[in-house]
Amino acid sequence: MDKILAVFKREYMERVRLRSFFIATIFGPILMAVLLILPAWLATRTRISTDVSNIVLIDASGTDLGQRIAGQLSRNGGNPEVRQVAPDGVAAAESLATRQVVAKQREGYLVIGQETVSGERARYAGRNASTLPDMRFVEDAIEQSVRNSRFEAAGIDGQRVQALSNVRLSLGTERLSERGRGSAGRENVVLAYVIAMLLYMSIVLYGQSIMMSVIEEKTQRVAEVVVSAIQPKQLLAGKVLGVGAVGLTQQLIWVASGVLLVRFQAPIMKAVGLAGAPMTMPSVPLTTALIFLVFFVLGFTFFTAMFAAAGSMVSTTQDAQQVATPLTMLIVPSILLLSPVMLEPGGTLSRVVTLIPFTSPILMPVRMSLTNVPWFEVFGSIAILVVTCFGAIWVAARIYRVGVLMYGKKPSLAEVGRWIRAR
Amino acid sequence: MTLALDIRSITKRYSGHVAVRDLSLQVPKGTVYGLLGPNGAGKTTTIRMLLNIIAPDEGSIAILGRLNTEKGVLDQAGYLPEERGLYRKMQVRRLLRFLAELKGVKGAEADRRIDAWLDKLSLRTAEKDWGAAKVDELSRGMQQKVQFIGTLLHEPQLVILDEPFSGLDPINSQALKDTILELRRAGRTVLFSTHLMDNAERMCDAVCIIARGEKVLDGAVAQVKAEHGGAHLALGLAGGATAAVSEVLNDRSIVARADDHNRFFEIELSPGADAQVLLRRLVESGAIVERFEKVQPSLHQIFLQKVGASGIEDGMTGHG
Repeated sequence: MDKILAVFKREYMERVRLRSFFIATIFGPILMAVLLILPAWLATRTRISTDVSNIVLIDASGTDLGQRIAGQLSRNGGNPEVRQVAPDGVAAAESLATRQVVAKQREGYLVIGQETVSGERARYAGRNASTLPDMRFVEDAIEQSVRNSRFEAAGIDGQRVQALSNVRLSLGTERLSERGRGSAGRENVVLAYVIAMLLYMSIVLYGQSIMMSVIEEKTQRVAEVVVSAIQPKQLLAGKVLGVGAVGLTQQLIWVASGVLLVRFQAPIMKAVGLAGAPMTMPSVPLTTALIFLVFFVLGFTFFTAMFAAAGSMVSTTQDAQQVATPLTMLIVPSILLLSPVMLEPGGTLSRVVTLIPFTSPILMPVRMSLTNVPWFEVFGSIAILVVTCFGAIWVAARIYRVGVLMYGKKPSLAEVGRWIRAR
Repeated sequence: MTLALDIRSITKRYSGHVAVRDLSLQVPKGTVYGLLGPNGAGKTTTIRMLLNIIAPDEGSIAILGRLNTEKGVLDQAGYLPEERGLYRKMQVRRLLRFLAELKGVKGAEADRRIDAWLDKLSLRTAEKDWGAAKVDELSRGMQQKVQFIGTLLHEPQLVILDEPFSGLDPINSQALKDTILELRRAGRTVLFSTHLMDNAERMCDAVCIIARGEKVLDGAVAQVKAEHGGAHLALGLAGGATAAVSEVLNDRSIVARADDHNRFFEIELSPGADAQVLLRRLVESGAIVERFEKVQPSLHQIFLQKVGASGIEDGMTGHG
């Protein structure tokens, strides 16, 4: 036991010390922060700037349309300046306004004429001409003004029409399925997705990583020194546990920083000068969280033990890719099946794939975060996974025992079979 | 007398061939023991079985009176594999601490021993502490020292070295010989394999020669020489052998075997042949004899005699 601990400690400490671990670990929270701040920041980019009404209106229409538009624009604050000109004075007025825009006294200028009154066109030139929301606001202001003057000409109260036609409705949505109502809120879908991705990423990354470390021990000829002091299965156990602990450490840092980010979202957003949208934390009961942990530990152990055994079969990194492929093939279905399971977490397909030990470590937590899974299915799935896990570790230990001292050519399947049966 | 190592009839088969066949050996405590044989003779397989890295198909192995499969027994043994290897990315001190922990030496005690060894092998000096460096920053010679420290850090009673002299420069080679003799003085047992007969002959108290997986002979070096040596002569010729001289040396009625080193020959007389007759015939053939001396056979000679030239494969040499 002491010796397994020594291997565990070495594996854990050397990995946590790596720069790549540090980068990957802080990258998670940074990515989450970006995902949190970016939408809010993008939203500010799509908001109308306050400068939008700080413009010159060159009115050659000979009507009060310029004043009306100025009235509409100033609803957003600011003070548009209306310059009444004769149609042949437009050019002179424009060059004056251009100078003012260049001198940054004004944001831009709008030219309206008889064709604007008839609702055909207007022209705008300004610093913010490529800012879509600003231009839409100006366009709206013009259209509204033209409409209002037409209403008045027809003897209708424009203000009243506007007030009456203003409806702001919000549609509440709720999902119905054959298993009942309200199966999944939007937060739970996000949660399920995050869980699946975290599990998948850590299994693939750490599976590859333990495989490389086994090959490294072989190519650097350390394996024989270690195996002279400790049984191969103890070495395997120490490595799998050590790498598992590293993965768990990283996950905990990610999850904790995710929780903190959501929890303190408002102050953080205020600090960077953005208004945050309210976020709700999907509620996960403690028992469910513990079951997630069980699936993580079992799934992780299962796959890393298999990857370690695969690594022990080969002596070069080129061969490693070949033996890793079948293992990756066992993991990828979990991701392919993610959408079907999320669409119908209570369906037959979901129930089957959450019992299969290759897919259950990822898909059962996903399913559980979306819907209520009967307890016998949860524990049945865990039982199957535990049995498979022991089987896989047994096989992995036997392959590892022989493979770790084998050099040279990649063994055939028949040879690996002999290794497993060997005394 | 307690045996440091008691091997009884071990056999290891691989698909298609037998690597070690019915091998028995007894190594008394406090001796330096040589396991000799050409490449592919089964030395490494035997050593791996001693350390329970692989299990023998038949037979048993006891270390200091207890089976090597019992818990904790192998903590008494230190092992230097033929293929040296260390975790290259690890700091030397942490690596050594890990190796010590694997053998059950922990914490402050491990640190104390590591420092003592680093000082002793001048890996830690006033200017530079290589213990704080990463393994791959060390030169090859220094890495070998670190590997050696790792083998001895837990103060094993039985030290097993697989081809310890291969790849060592003369200075490190001498340092290794000194260390082996020092271990012996401290009452430890050292077993090492080698294909370098000269080293074995000078250092070992006892040897075992194996070829093709089987024991050819074993025993104390002096005893082996007395039992297995025929009548041996050392012959020195000025200017080497002429055709006429070669003819004499190839006469199997007098000379059973002549090991030609150009100006120096190791000669084994045929049974019943007389050394005086050989000397006379050599002089008659025009040889200028500088040296003609009755000697004990070298291990190399005995090896050739017992295993035969067919047992000698590439890498086999009498000189080291």
